[in-house]
Amino acid sequence: MKKSRTVRLVLLGSAGLMIAACDEAPPPDGRFFSTVAECAAVKGEAECEKAFAESKATFEAEAPKFDRKEQCEAEFGAGNCETRESGAGSFFMPMMMGYMLGNAFRQPVYRGPDNRAMVRSGGTSYSVGQFAGAGRAAAYQPAQATPVQRGGFGGTASSRPVSAGG
Amino acid sequence: MRRLATTPRPDWREHVERDLGFAFHTINDAPYWDETACYVFTAAQVDELEAATGELEQMALELVDRVVRSGDEAYERLRIPPSARGAVEHSWTAGEKNLYGRFDLRYDGLGPPKMLEYNADTPTALFEAAVVQWDWLEATFPGRDQFNSLHEKLIEAWKNFGLGRTRVYFSAVKDHAEDTGTVDYLRDTAIQAGLHTAVIAIDDIGWDGMRFLDLEDQPIEALFKLYPWEWLVFEEFGQYLLSGVAKVIEPAWKMVLSNKAALALLWEMAPGHPNLLAAALEPGVIEGTVVRKPIFGREGANLQVIEGGRVIAETGGDYGAEGFVYQAHAPLPAFDGNYPVIGSWVVASQPAGIGIREDSTAITRDTSRFLPHVFE
Repeated sequence: MKKSRTVRLVLLGSAGLMIAACDEAPPPDGRFFSTVAECAAVKGEAECEKAFAESKATFEAEAPKFDRKEQCEAEFGAGNCETRESGAGSFFMPMMMGYMLGNAFRQPVYRGPDNRAMVRSGGTSYSVGQFAGAGRAAAYQPAQATPVQRGGFGGTASSRPVSAGG
Repeated sequence: MRRLATTPRPDWREHVERDLGFAFHTINDAPYWDETACYVFTAAQVDELEAATGELEQMALELVDRVVRSGDEAYERLRIPPSARGAVEHSWTAGEKNLYGRFDLRYDGLGPPKMLEYNADTPTALFEAAVVQWDWLEATFPGRDQFNSLHEKLIEAWKNFGLGRTRVYFSAVKDHAEDTGTVDYLRDTAIQAGLHTAVIAIDDIGWDGMRFLDLEDQPIEALFKLYPWEWLVFEEFGQYLLSGVAKVIEPAWKMVLSNKAALALLWEMAPGHPNLLAAALEPGVIEGTVVRKPIFGREGANLQVIEGGRVIAETGGDYGAEGFVYQAHAPLPAFDGNYPVIGSWVVASQPAGIGIREDSTAITRDTSRFLPHVFE
């Protein structure tokens, strides 16, 4: 047979609005806190403790675990991985620096390459700012509003009434 | 090879819209997807199409290699601007993978398929070939075969790009139903391959001096674009794309193939090949009736059919500034007054199936109809 055995769609047609909700960036109202105390000053101790505990649990469960430090550092950057011990020996994980809290959003924040503050949402990673310097004590800096230009692609299409495909 | 009248499925429009998300079955009130007829091939003819397609792809890849090794003189003939040549060379020597392409073939079942053109950068009519005609086959001729394993091959190809967790952005021109539909389908196959994906309109892509950014200012590290390289390189952000800061699909080396000057270079490389039509970059070189095509033309615009030095037919349009290729005229065969062109797909450089577009005139345009096929 020279035809596909099955053809299933997950995004198009009746299959799927399921996927549309994933792949979301953290909401703009999210704030970073490195400790419960820092958060409590803004949001109330009970909520902060709960958020911290949940974020930590999420991190411990979902953050990748590596057998070798080099594998971890390849993904998260040199110096950004911690050694952990388990019954079966040591393993390596990225470093949780705190958590990001928004109205309907809480996620652990960990160090990524280039001192970036990273959050995982919908299966992918987003940068939510920077850490100034190395290690656990580094201070968090929100993402800077660098001037972003747009519209640098697409001009040719708008000057012609035809499809860009062919 | 024959054309067979068939009975359209009752309520097929509602079905394809609702169940397949196929929104552009009718364009400007004229039918595009057409199930009042289908083409029927023999197994031997499908084998012939498949073999010819595989061979054409291998020749195309050989051409890219030769052009990259020749350098400026070859790039000049292909109208690839100096600013893009480094990116073309780098993407080829680094082995950057390609996803797909579509050869347009003239074929009547009686002689070898002849390549009319190769859409190597931004081929469309993919969803129709991969999904809509498959769905039609299952309903209309269950148990019969079709030369179409596009869907499965696309999913498999995505897995081999080595993207890991890198999110691929799928980009097209806003508000063009056919283009956004094609890109949505490709995103669907990428998701099924386990990739992380997002969409962004081509003119929403941002640049902050270091990286491309989406509308939430997140970095775009991999971009699938349904937008021609030859337009991008001259746009404001084109230079940043050429710098390699993001992975692009199709890769930059496809520029060697995505213009019709390549037709002449292929003929020079393999003169007399049974699947090629004679082609040259100057007039008066090819004998007999010749079609003059703009090097960067689209959708049948600005064609001239020249016989004995006289223009005997032409189409209008705005293309031709970059020059023309002259190709031996191979009139399309007629089946019941309709002229089919076989769109033969490669996915990851392997033949993957065909889709057929036909017109009631001898030049295929964007208003041509797409017909399904079956083979026995």
